[in-house]
Amino acid sequence: MPKIRVLRDMKARAGVAENEILRRAYLFVARNQSLPAQVRYQAQLQLNTFGRYTRPTTVKNRCTESGRGRGIISEFGLCRFQFRLKALNNELPGVRKASW
Amino acid sequence: MPAVARARLSLLESLRCSIFATSYNPTSLRTGAKYLRARLRGPSMLNYYPKIVKISHFNKLFPGLDLEDTDEIQRRNDLAALRARGKGAPKKAKTKEQSRRLAKKR
Repeated sequence: MPKIRVLRDMKARAGVAENEILRRAYLFVARNQSLPAQVRYQAQLQLNTFGRYTRPTTVKNRCTESGRGRGIISEFGLCRFQFRLKALNNELPGVRKASW
Repeated sequence: MPAVARARLSLLESLRCSIFATSYNPTSLRTGAKYLRARLRGPSMLNYYPKIVKISHFNKLFPGLDLEDTDEIQRRNDLAALRARGKGAPKKAKTKEQSRRLAKKR
């Protein structure tokens, strides 16, 4: 079972995916300077009614193994310690410990 | 004073836009087109974490299957043990008076 912060991030991802098209439409109207100011303002108000977990900025890439939020090596989606463990176990193709 | 009149230059620009299929926007108004043009990021966001396979998923998929869900049994046993020691989560407050959070503030 993933940790609560990972579960929360999953929830945010699902929310973003679900509301993305509608949010984009409102963003388009709100940021379009050729539309009347009243319409743009209404669109901005609508954007503000969306919940916390519908904004893409709430999504954070966490470690897929341990759920850690910092020190993520994005190419592998792992935090630095899990990356080290897996690399030393030869579980990451093409990753070798440097030696010279 | 430029050698070519400004009106002629803007005419040239509009013609250029019609030829190369770009939008003619001499006053540089923000059209919000970038929000429509950008790719949707939701689908790839959903794929970040590996899928969790749980026994309860199969039980839901095939209603007659009824596999033994060991994780769920473990969870219930842990909860029962906590409650037996009086360490379980408190009951949800039904009314505002029952809410401890409000009681503390007063």
